This record gives sequence, C-alpha cells and structure tokens, in this order.
Amino acid sequence: MATEQSVDLVDDETVGLFTKAVLLAALTAGLAQISIPLPGPLVPFSLQPFGMFFAGLLLGPLWGGVALLLYILVGIAGAPVFSNANAGLGYVIAGQGTGGFLVGFLVGAVVAGAIAHRSIAPKPVADLSVPVQGVALTAAVAVVYAIGIPWMSFVTGLPLSRAAALMAPYIPPDLLKLGIAIAIVQGGYLAGR
Amino acid sequence: MLSYRPGSTFAHRLDPRSKLLVQFGLAIAAVAHPTLPWLVGTTAFALATLAAARLSPLAVLHSYRVVLAVLALAPVVAGVVLGPPWFRVDPALRSALHVGRILPVLLVSAAYLTSTPVRDTRAAVQRLIPGKPGQILGTGMALVVRLFPLVLADVREVRDAIHARGGEARPLRDRVRLLAVRSLERTLDRSDRLSVALRARCFAWNPTLPPLAFERRDYPVLAVGIALAVSPLVPV
Repeated sequence: MATEQSVDLVDDETVGLFTKAVLLAALTAGLAQISIPLPGPLVPFSLQPFGMFFAGLLLGPLWGGVALLLYILVGIAGAPVFSNANAGLGYVIAGQGTGGFLVGFLVGAVVAGAIAHRSIAPKPVADLSVPVQGVALTAAVAVVYAIGIPWMSFVTGLPLSRAAALMAPYIPPDLLKLGIAIAIVQGGYLAGR
Repeated sequence: MLSYRPGSTFAHRLDPRSKLLVQFGLAIAAVAHPTLPWLVGTTAFALATLAAARLSPLAVLHSYRVVLAVLALAPVVAGVVLGPPWFRVDPALRSALHVGRILPVLLVSAAYLTSTPVRDTRAAVQRLIPGKPGQILGTGMALVVRLFPLVLADVREVRDAIHARGGEARPLRDRVRLLAVRSLERTLDRSDRLSVALRARCFAWNPTLPPLAFERRDYPVLAVGIALAVSPLVPV
C-alpha cells in the first residue's frame, strides 16, 4: 500500500533568513581566525564581534540568535571555528578563561536584534536610525562583558574586579568596532539587505 | 589541533548522544566542588575517557598547550598584590584549584572531538531537539561546516588583497572597515545563491533524520552521564 506524506515547504522569507543565519555563522567563524596585530603592548584587534553585530542588525533577535547558536554548536561538534582554530565543549566552557564571551556573543546578538528591530521579524537595516543602532550595539557589547567577566572569574577563581581589570583593555577596541559597524550600515553597504 | 580521527575504539562505537551526555555531565560535576579530592576523582574519570578513545594524555595536553599556558597565569595574577608582601599564596592556591577543575573538562572534550565526526553531533542535535528548531539547527550545522572553509578563504583573500595594495599603511579604522565590508558582501552574495539553490530544491520542513541508534553498550554510559550531571546534589 502506497503511503502519502505532504511536503511542508519552507516559505521563501524563512529560507532567506535561514541562509543569512548560516552564512553569518560561517562569517563569524572566519573572522574569529583573523586579527590585526597592533604595535607595542596593545591587544590584537580581533574581528569576531562583527559577526554578532551584523547578526543582530541584519537578522533581528530570533535569526540573529540562531546564527550565533549555529556557530557555537558547530564548534562544540568539532569544527575548528573558535579563535586559533580551537573547537569543543571544553573550549566553550574554559577557552583561555574567555569561554563566557562566546556565550555572550550569542546573547549579545539577541539583545542587539531585539533593541534594533523591536520585533521578531527584522526590518530592512537601512530603516534603523543611528541612535537605535548605537544603543543596540552598545547593549550587545555590555551583555558580552556582563556574561564574559563573571564567567572568567568563575573559571579561573580570580576576583571579579581582577577579571574585569584583565579584560578592560579590550573595551576601547570593541567600542571602535561598534562605531565601524554603524559606519558600514550608514555607508549604504548593506542597502537592500 | 584536535579533530576527528577514524577508529574503532570503545568511544568511537558509542552513540553521540550518550557521549554528549557524559561530556555535559562531567562539565557540571567538575565545576560543582572546588576541592582537591573532587578534582582528583573527575580527573581520573577524564583519563578513563581518554583511554576509551585510545588517546595519549600527553598528546592531548600538548594540543591544549596554549589554553593551558594562559589558564596557568591565573593563579599568578590572583596571588599578586600591589604592596608588601607582593604575593599572597591563599588566593593563588584557590585560583589554581579553580583552574584545575577545567582540566578534566578539556580532556573529556578531547576524547569526544577525536571519536565523533561532526555529522554525528549534527544528527544528535537534530534528534534531541524536536520539530522545526531541530531541523533548522541540524541542517544549519551541516551547511555551516560545508561553507566555513569557503567564507574563511574569502576573508583571507580580502585581507591579502588589502595588503597587496599597501593597506597596512592605512589607518586601522579604514583597514577594518574594508575587510568587514568586502567579507560581508561576499558572504551575503553566497547567502543569496544558497537561498535560491534551497528553494529550487524544494527545501522542506519534513525531516529526513540521520540514522542513529542506541546499542546495549550505550545504556551504562547514559547512566554514568546522568549520575555525573546530578552529582553536585550529593553533599561532599
């Protein structure tokens, strides 16, 4: 006896958001392998936060979160997508004391998307005003540090204040990245996305 | 770098869901109690998982050398004080114990990574998370793994092109903007092409779940995973 099962096609809009989430997860992984060395004692300039920024701005809270969740899951599964081609649950938990920042990127993308779009469905990125983008991305950076620093303190046994002091040099570059991300949107590079 | 190696060890023959449970269970157990006996117990368990995957502990420690070197600085940072006596032992020991808890988590993670292909973890995720979310995450993981090398090659190509045009002399802000914009443009173009390809192939919610099956050897492993996960409830 032949059995019939109806095919439940994914609608075109969802396919578009899904493929953007997949590719932004891959881009986050790619950018995690690249950093620009800075002179003297300055910390290397990592490009990884751009994945979180663009996931939140382009995809909104739901699909932006899916993008960063895919990134973390693929890393836990063993693909060398974390910085310096690391992988595994052990790296997410411990990292170099910085595992919490990976989880922070996931929550940060959701927060940035929620503030920027104020709904599950993302608006065209050109419709987002500069102040809204600024607040959304600043909140995302704040969330990353709010999760990453206590996590670091828990993993390493360092007092919270000392963990915060260790991560403080990374805050100015992250604010610069935030400004660059907004400049990219305002430059019209993402028009029609 | 730790990655999957084909083999027929006990760890290779286990279902990825039982291995995931042990991995998460051990992570919960390891951080539950920062005491020396607990640390010794979880480390002994982690060494047993390495034996099950026929991995050399020294080779695994070598693979994690950068992570471990950075973590080893934590007790030094914890002990330093600005002023006499300049270094306090108690906070350093406390930090060393905290960092020590991470070692078994890293060891078990290494056993998992080397004995489990990425596609098996993807299958486990798709089976453990029901409905459309599982379908999205499972299919998404497979696509990210497939596309990551291409996107990484794009990013490196853009970086090299900027270097070739004397980009190193430009201000940092311009270099970063160029790299981010060009990489993002290529990524979104790939997204558009993937979207068309999926629609052309009638991308559907109907899941074709990858085959996975528990065997008799998985049940004791599942029990160990559950015991590890609830072990923090046991007073020490």
